[in-house]
Amino acid sequence: MKKITILFFAFLAVLFSCEKNDIEGPSLNDLYGPLDILESFKIVGDSVDFENDEILYFTASFSKIVDWKIKIRGQTSGSIKIISGKSNFINLNNSSWEGSSTELPFFVSENCDVELSFEIHDDIFQDTLYISSAKDYNNESTVLITDFEAGFNPNFTGFFQAGCTKSLTTGGSGEGAKHLQQFGTCDWDWLIGYIDYYSNFWLNPNTLVSDPSQVYFNIMIKGDSTISIVDGVPNSLFKLEFYEDENNDGYYDASSEDRYDYEFDVNWNGWKMISINYNDVENLLAPPNNSGDGIRNPSQIYNVRTLLLANPNSGFAKADVDFLIWSIGGPILN
Amino acid sequence: MKNILLNILIIFLASYALSTQAQIKSKVWYDGNARVMYDRDILTGDNLDQKDTVSTRSNGTGFSKIDLGLHFTPINEIEISSSIRLQNDFGGMWGNRNSVTLRSLSASGVINNKIRFGIGDLFLKQSKYTLYNYSQDLSHFESDVFSFYREYVNYENYYKENYWRLQGIQTNFSYNMYNIIEQIDIDAFTSRIRGAQWLGDPELLMFGGTLFIRLNEKIKIGSHYINTFEIKSSSNTDIAYYNPVFTAKFMYSDKFLDMYPLDILVEGGVSKRGWEGDGFAPETQGMFFNSTFQSKINNSNLRLNFKLVDTDFRSIGAQTRRLNYSLVPSSYAYYGNSYTQRKIGLLDIISDPDIYNQRLSTSLMDYNPIYSATLPYGDATPNRIGTEVNIEEIKITGFLKLNIDAKYFTELIGQGTTQKRHFLNGAISSKLHINKIFDISVPIIIDASAFAENIKRSGSEFERINLKTNLISSGILVGLADNLSLVCGSKLFSAVGNEYLIERNIYDQIIDYNTANFDISEMILVGGIQYYFEKDTYITMQYNHFNMLDNNILEDEFSMGRLVFMFNMNL
Repeated sequence: MKKITILFFAFLAVLFSCEKNDIEGPSLNDLYGPLDILESFKIVGDSVDFENDEILYFTASFSKIVDWKIKIRGQTSGSIKIISGKSNFINLNNSSWEGSSTELPFFVSENCDVELSFEIHDDIFQDTLYISSAKDYNNESTVLITDFEAGFNPNFTGFFQAGCTKSLTTGGSGEGAKHLQQFGTCDWDWLIGYIDYYSNFWLNPNTLVSDPSQVYFNIMIKGDSTISIVDGVPNSLFKLEFYEDENNDGYYDASSEDRYDYEFDVNWNGWKMISINYNDVENLLAPPNNSGDGIRNPSQIYNVRTLLLANPNSGFAKADVDFLIWSIGGPILN
Repeated sequence: MKNILLNILIIFLASYALSTQAQIKSKVWYDGNARVMYDRDILTGDNLDQKDTVSTRSNGTGFSKIDLGLHFTPINEIEISSSIRLQNDFGGMWGNRNSVTLRSLSASGVINNKIRFGIGDLFLKQSKYTLYNYSQDLSHFESDVFSFYREYVNYENYYKENYWRLQGIQTNFSYNMYNIIEQIDIDAFTSRIRGAQWLGDPELLMFGGTLFIRLNEKIKIGSHYINTFEIKSSSNTDIAYYNPVFTAKFMYSDKFLDMYPLDILVEGGVSKRGWEGDGFAPETQGMFFNSTFQSKINNSNLRLNFKLVDTDFRSIGAQTRRLNYSLVPSSYAYYGNSYTQRKIGLLDIISDPDIYNQRLSTSLMDYNPIYSATLPYGDATPNRIGTEVNIEEIKITGFLKLNIDAKYFTELIGQGTTQKRHFLNGAISSKLHINKIFDISVPIIIDASAFAENIKRSGSEFERINLKTNLISSGILVGLADNLSLVCGSKLFSAVGNEYLIERNIYDQIIDYNTANFDISEMILVGGIQYYFEKDTYITMQYNHFNMLDNNILEDEFSMGRLVFMFNMNL
């Protein structure tokens, strides 16, 4: 009996000593604890030269895991970059910035206001930084069609209805200094106007890969968000048509070659980057509407046509464009 | 169509039973239960004309039920049992609201006078950590005044003591060896917990076994094994649940100080729980340890217990709760002009059979910490370590006896913090026979109990928990004449403090906490008369008053009166 008692208490001692130190479930501190800044908010790499692929990042550390957001706003351009995360620290791995924008236009060489804020806490930390040179979006993994900085290439032909406007404008552009204005009212046809951007006259030659899943078409569009009084939807309708020259004869034959379309309402105000994956099968028309081989091949694109459309009963439509560019591997703005 | 077939079956069985009884009386026998109940709930409270213009002012329900149990012994070794329920809900007419249902059907017998077996509806129980149906919240030390409600709830939900009612096959046998091992007892069963569902979860089966070896009259060792698992092929799924649990026991009986009987039980076990084929599901492994010291000193039963249950210990058969908080109460489920869903309260816990659960649950069911926090899943509550002391039948005088129960537990690991909850839980009950003091011929009995529970966690402001709950329960029975008594009783409940309500995902992992501040008081007052024809055969008529007030939401105060009549007869 005595031995059993000793064994019993020895067993209890072992059990008590085997106590776990972990916690069960998510941390209460992260959910309900106060937010203390353990390491103050700092900018590393101010006066950054984005054009030469420099980056900058931010550092800070907190007493809890928290949803944080860094908002960078260009004082000249008005461009905005948002970097966000959920962690108890900010460092190179979760806050590096290579100069891209979240909201257009693009940043230029300028001073920027920086603000760190938190989702469920009122604390805000502010600072400023300087961009010595802005990011160059045109690189080896992009194919630039046009940015209108050297004017409107007259080889990009097209058609605009009488009374409707297509004009090159300086100032207020999405990228650089110039962009193309497109607007007008046409009460007899859906078409306001269109422009053909033939690949022969793109600023960069068509070096797109043939894998459509890797290729993105990017275009800056400035909308005015006018709502139709007729049907309650935005007046401006934008359409993209991609023509493939499958037999490489320098000509698109509608009876034997593919054309893919993509259209959308322009339901926003100001500049917005639209990026479309060329393999987006849900939005691009597929055979039998097309007469070619039915295989999307970006390397065979011969022409990109942009069309501004509007319901003839609905009135004024507008969609300025800028910076038409292909990107490989992902949208131009991540 | 189903009712017609059942009617034919009943007539056939009854005719057969009667004819057989006429021929060989000993081969057929009957038992069962007859119950007639009528209650009228009356919405009460202040400013009802402003606060609640949508609810009916009163609701009445009633029924008469007869559960006819038929038992056949066609041969000496076999007994076939069935229970057929004839029910008539009040308010029906010409067969409307009448129903005939088969309540249970089973067969049992003995093979070769050695091996017992049972098939069909079975009542199964194993260890408190493998298969055990724990009593509902706040039912300990309950006054006798409320026992008719409790019996009704338990009967309707097939709660017989701490057995789970399952369907399957069971067998057991003993073997006497008379050498180093004196006796071996073996029990095994298999059960179908959940049948196949159309485009749903696969079948859920359970099988288990118990082995006891008596080495001598003092020492006994034993083991339980139970495995609950889904049959993947019975459904269009690639995922199958499994939960095997194994325990080992050591039991020692002797005399303490050569005077007092002593029983020591030491039990430990392990569990595993997972979902085969589900890449997101964790496979958890847990353990428990339990030791109990039991004795009888001066006619008082003393029980000391120490237990530890790992955070990841999972046992479907022992952790399924009776009370299902996801259901809504039968009486005034919604009330008030904002059509507020009424939370399950003390009166519902006592009297509403429809908020109870009859099926084993593969995940931890929700509980309300104001009604049960120390051991919401019974002894098998995961993440607990602590001790328990029970002393029963403490004789103060010839007419006053006390029962005491105290528990102190803590979490093994903290939830969301390294700080751990501490649970202190105490209960005391007494029964005073006034008639014995004053030598009165009719019984006058007062019983009272007090229960208090405190959950505490220290730490930073956001980690701190302090929730205190109290329940004072009392009952008075005054004999008016032979077997006719006046009964009165009350339950006063309060819960004040704060807690975090836990949200778990389908794998029982904690995913969120909701802060909860309680300032709740509940009151139940009952009064009426009851007449006992004999034990378990009685009539009672009572008026109940119920009030539930959440001081944080005063406008949601709920008050209700209930006039209840019940006739019960166990055949």
